[in-house]
Amino acid sequence: MDYRDTPEEAEFRASLRAWLAENIPAGWDKIEDRDEAARMQRAWHRTLYEAGYIGMSWPKEYGGRSLSPMYEAILNEEAGNLNAPRLPSVGYIGRAVFTYGSEEQKKRFLPPLLSGEAQWCQGFSEPEAGSDLASLRTLARLDGDHYVVNGQKMWTSGGQYADWCLLLARTDPDVPKHKGISAFLVSMREPGVTVRPIVLASGEAETCEVFWDDVRIPVAQRLGAPGEGWRIAMTTVAYERGPADIGFIASYRHTLRRVERLAAERGLLERPETRKKLAAAYVRGEVLRLNCMEQLSLRVSGREPGPEGSVAKLLWADAEQSLQHLAMDILGADCMTGAAGEWLGSYFTSRPVSVYGGSAQIQKNIIARMLGLPR
Amino acid sequence: MLALLDAEQQMLKEVAGQIARAAEVANPGDLKTRDRAAAWESLAQAGLLGLRVRDEEGRPSASGVEVAVVAEALGAGLVPVPYLGSAVLATELLALAGAGPEAEELAAGGKRAGILLNRDLSAPARLPGDEQGYAWDCDGAAEALALVEAPGGAQVVRVPLDGAFTPVAGADLTRSLARYDAPIDPSGLTRAGRPLTEAELARWEALALAALCADTVGVMRSAVTKAVEYAKERIQYGVPIGSFQAVQHMCAEAYVSAEAAASATGYAAWAVDVLEPGEALTAARTAKAQCGAVAREVTETVMQIFGGIGQTYEHIAHVHTRRALTDRQVLGDEDAQLLRIADVRLTGE
Repeated sequence: MDYRDTPEEAEFRASLRAWLAENIPAGWDKIEDRDEAARMQRAWHRTLYEAGYIGMSWPKEYGGRSLSPMYEAILNEEAGNLNAPRLPSVGYIGRAVFTYGSEEQKKRFLPPLLSGEAQWCQGFSEPEAGSDLASLRTLARLDGDHYVVNGQKMWTSGGQYADWCLLLARTDPDVPKHKGISAFLVSMREPGVTVRPIVLASGEAETCEVFWDDVRIPVAQRLGAPGEGWRIAMTTVAYERGPADIGFIASYRHTLRRVERLAAERGLLERPETRKKLAAAYVRGEVLRLNCMEQLSLRVSGREPGPEGSVAKLLWADAEQSLQHLAMDILGADCMTGAAGEWLGSYFTSRPVSVYGGSAQIQKNIIARMLGLPR
Repeated sequence: MLALLDAEQQMLKEVAGQIARAAEVANPGDLKTRDRAAAWESLAQAGLLGLRVRDEEGRPSASGVEVAVVAEALGAGLVPVPYLGSAVLATELLALAGAGPEAEELAAGGKRAGILLNRDLSAPARLPGDEQGYAWDCDGAAEALALVEAPGGAQVVRVPLDGAFTPVAGADLTRSLARYDAPIDPSGLTRAGRPLTEAELARWEALALAALCADTVGVMRSAVTKAVEYAKERIQYGVPIGSFQAVQHMCAEAYVSAEAAASATGYAAWAVDVLEPGEALTAARTAKAQCGAVAREVTETVMQIFGGIGQTYEHIAHVHTRRALTDRQVLGDEDAQLLRIADVRLTGE
């Protein structure tokens, strides 16, 4: 057991730090226009790709470097520490394509995914299929050498900026619900695709709904066998979706420091109650970080990601939401009067953490299954 | 980085688990019948009482990780032996003070020592200042260690557990407690080794807290396992109660709390011998704050899942709760740890 970098990891970290210091786009976090932010994000993806920092854990044959996932964790950590723009998450789509795709699909879709030339979104949830994803209704009907898709998807994050979509649709309504779903690789530019941003409680349009009206998809763009969609979806959600993969740990540390400064500015640091709450927030962050390090170690040792990810998901939501509560309590009225409006925004942004990627209640159901409790 | 036990540590876990299962308290009746001397002898023979004895270069024979592995196994079995008191807290204090032969004596198993704590169990007793206090986890011990201010640091002294000490029935049914009510005169006490520096005391506290946390983690994990097994078997309304989502979520929440505490504890145990004393102590306080905050909730949830039977004296559930609650108090509960963490985070003290 050793929580320190190996010499190779330390060397990688040092060169990465130097690279980040040179390459993080100046002033990126001051961009307010969402379209401009999306352009910046695309350019950042390209910069990372050219330096070899995208898809490091992918097999070499698919454009990766066959490095251990530890290196991606270091990238996430250092990028977070240096306040870099969000890192593109290509892992989950990539994993689906190189696990289930045909050779032709891999050659066609993986290189532009890595380079950032093609941005992807994920068409899974629907208005009537949230936690019960397998009950999705979007229909893909076979018509010659095409499928014709009709339906509506919800919570398609980044849908308004995506070029491609990993879409789940029902291809066989006559078999049990998990068995009749197939996965597709679809261009968002096809006629019949309509994207409408959803404004969340924070006031930000962070996600989208997507309408599919008679959208024609070539059969060659079905991923995996007909009916294999559920398995593909489960692979996708299991991989690289943990808090460590999205740089949450580092951003939590930044936010906690900001909350500590808020408490100091308001002269609250003498209060033992406030001190305890700030320390408790630190403890929650550490517990999450250390739990993620264990999960990562298991992954590096070759274990497939399993239901243990649900533990991290619950700890993550609890840490983020508790920290936003603390900020709100420290700010008092300023949070309600607009004097510190950005914190009200981040408070609302923390609420869906216990909903997306499997709600807290679903995570507990998964843990109950893992414990062997009966259905 | 690899935050997993290595092959040797896994083997140690097996060995400690075997010893713990042989001496396990599976129901409160076992407390009277367990052969505590045999369990202690097994630990001594396996070398597990000597993990913190130093070699010629002053290195402990095993790290905090190994100590935590053993402590967790014994906690899981609710084993009624003074492993924490004698083999960890007392032995480490002697070893740090350079009292090698005394530490070796404890490691051999023939002799035991407890630790003297202040009145609220939050720190080792300082003499003559702490006029009242407790010898903790001192089963079979003829003496307990305390600290006396001395030039150059804190001097370890050996306090005989004589007539000045009254055995008390503490919350924890698996470990002994003896109270002293009158000031103890340090001048007549035997000293052990040389005075300890602040850094050495911090190192000691880091190990002590990590070991306490590991004990708590063992107690919580085994309690949750038992409750989950019960939920699968107990039939009400014609179905196992574990099929109800309310019960499932209680089990899941208790499991998450215990695992989160385990993650923090693993790091704290590793940090003891690797990080700077201040950093190691913060890691240990972090783990203790987490363990303390969830220990009561988890063991209460377990009692709740056991329902009526879980509220009875004859049932094992309260033995878990009692041991976990005591671990939580010893060397400071979560409030105490959080205030110290805040000192480091907010003022850099």
